[in-house]
Amino acid sequence: MSVQSSHEKELAELIVECLNLEDVGADEIEPEEPLFGDGLGLDSIDALELALAITQKYGVQLKADDANIQEVFGSLRSLSAYIAEKTA
Amino acid sequence: MQRLHPLTTREPGEVIAHGPSGAITVGEFLAHATGLSEALPPRQFIINLSADRYTFLLGFCAAVIAGQCTLMPPNRQRQTLQQLAEAHADCYTFGEAGVEDVEHVDSIDLAAARTSMTSGVPEIDEQHLCAIVFTSGSTGAPTPNRKYWQTLRAGSLSNVDLLMSDEQTQLNLLATVPPQHMWGFETSILLPLFCNVAVSHLTPFFPQDISDALESLPEPRALVSSPVHLDAFLNARTEPQRIDRIFSATAPMSEQLARDLEERFGAHVVEVFGSSESGIIARRNTADEKLWQLAPAFRLEAGKDGLLISAAHLPEGLLLQDSIEVVGDTHFRWLGRHQDMVNIAGKRGSLADLNHRLNAIPGVIDGVIFLPDENSKRLAALVVAPELEPSDILERLRPVIEPAFLPRPVYIVASLPRQETGKLARKMLVQQFAEIKRRKTLESDDLADSTA
Repeated sequence: MSVQSSHEKELAELIVECLNLEDVGADEIEPEEPLFGDGLGLDSIDALELALAITQKYGVQLKADDANIQEVFGSLRSLSAYIAEKTA
Repeated sequence: MQRLHPLTTREPGEVIAHGPSGAITVGEFLAHATGLSEALPPRQFIINLSADRYTFLLGFCAAVIAGQCTLMPPNRQRQTLQQLAEAHADCYTFGEAGVEDVEHVDSIDLAAARTSMTSGVPEIDEQHLCAIVFTSGSTGAPTPNRKYWQTLRAGSLSNVDLLMSDEQTQLNLLATVPPQHMWGFETSILLPLFCNVAVSHLTPFFPQDISDALESLPEPRALVSSPVHLDAFLNARTEPQRIDRIFSATAPMSEQLARDLEERFGAHVVEVFGSSESGIIARRNTADEKLWQLAPAFRLEAGKDGLLISAAHLPEGLLLQDSIEVVGDTHFRWLGRHQDMVNIAGKRGSLADLNHRLNAIPGVIDGVIFLPDENSKRLAALVVAPELEPSDILERLRPVIEPAFLPRPVYIVASLPRQETGKLARKMLVQQFAEIKRRKTLESDDLADSTA
């Protein structure tokens, strides 16, 4: 398993908390595994909840058209990188 | 005898849509749709997967003109599309490719379509089967709802009357819900054919996208959405902007959300009641009305198994899936869903069926799936299964139930609060659930404190 950076760890905790994933530990989220579909099995309602939590925590508004949002939401690592870029 | 009705009642010079390069008039749209209808493969069924809403509208109307039927899948998962194509062999996909080994029409040359303008508005046979809308139950197995031109046309005229009767000027409409779902279909695809509505080609998802898409539309603007999308949009605190009408359906909206939306956007919030089978049947102004106003085209009648909803344009009376109290001839009060039915992410499912599947898992001694409260976006489960972890249970449920119905969270418990008769009282369940949730939250806070 690839190791979560501190940013990724923080984001993983946010994901688990805001999406009620009690059966998944934040440290169990593989940084490069898919979050949606076959990975954690998240869906579009989760994407909205998560986007809102990200806006509230990091002040970043996610947008589908200024990046390939499917890639951004593709994994913990890509989502974390996107947020880092927006808050830099 | 064959009876024909025009594809649209709009004037050629009016605007029907806002595309990537600006306003599209009814005349241009008719030229596009007629041109496209001549270019479609001569098949019976079209699976319209266009992400662009104007392209979806064109694909749908061209198919209607060509005497074809649009199949509307309950979701866009590869497996769903594959099964749909297998069950309707004489089909092709349109807009976006979705199924292997199925003929595909990718995009359309609008410039070429424009030159093939035929005179007048196409006339459609009222008996033509225009669409089959599939709804997925709790197991994800799709149920077909057949939509004939007569039904779509009369339903749309009823919707114009119910939702648009006081609109004088062109209303510019943006929808966050997909055109393949009945709610998005009736509003963003059919309304523009029958009243002064111009629909945006976009389907924004994130709050900032909704805000940007609204900004690109002229006023007055209408937003067609769902409580989940609207709640996220409200709370994201994007730049303030004016929305004249907000139409919401797919799940109950709280009075508070309606009021907050009205205050923030200056909008008039209209909540709509309907189903894939019946279409839209009622409306209310949720911020200050409790009662629903029934559309004049529909009647509520007592049937042998409950209330039936009927209308001249529906093939048969439909059993209402909700408990309601009829108030006078034109209004009703919503009391709740039938105990067994839940609605998650716009999908309707049976709790009895979900529970049956949960209890069929080896190692599950007793278990229940339920909605923790009326505003919950997700189902939850309490399970007696000493040998299993919540993740084992989810893994076993995943292949057999629609993903939206997967319970979250799943709590393992020593026993369920059954009464002597074996019955589970909802109140006790909710209490037990709340207690566990509170404890878990405390534990994780403690953990966070101790690791901080």
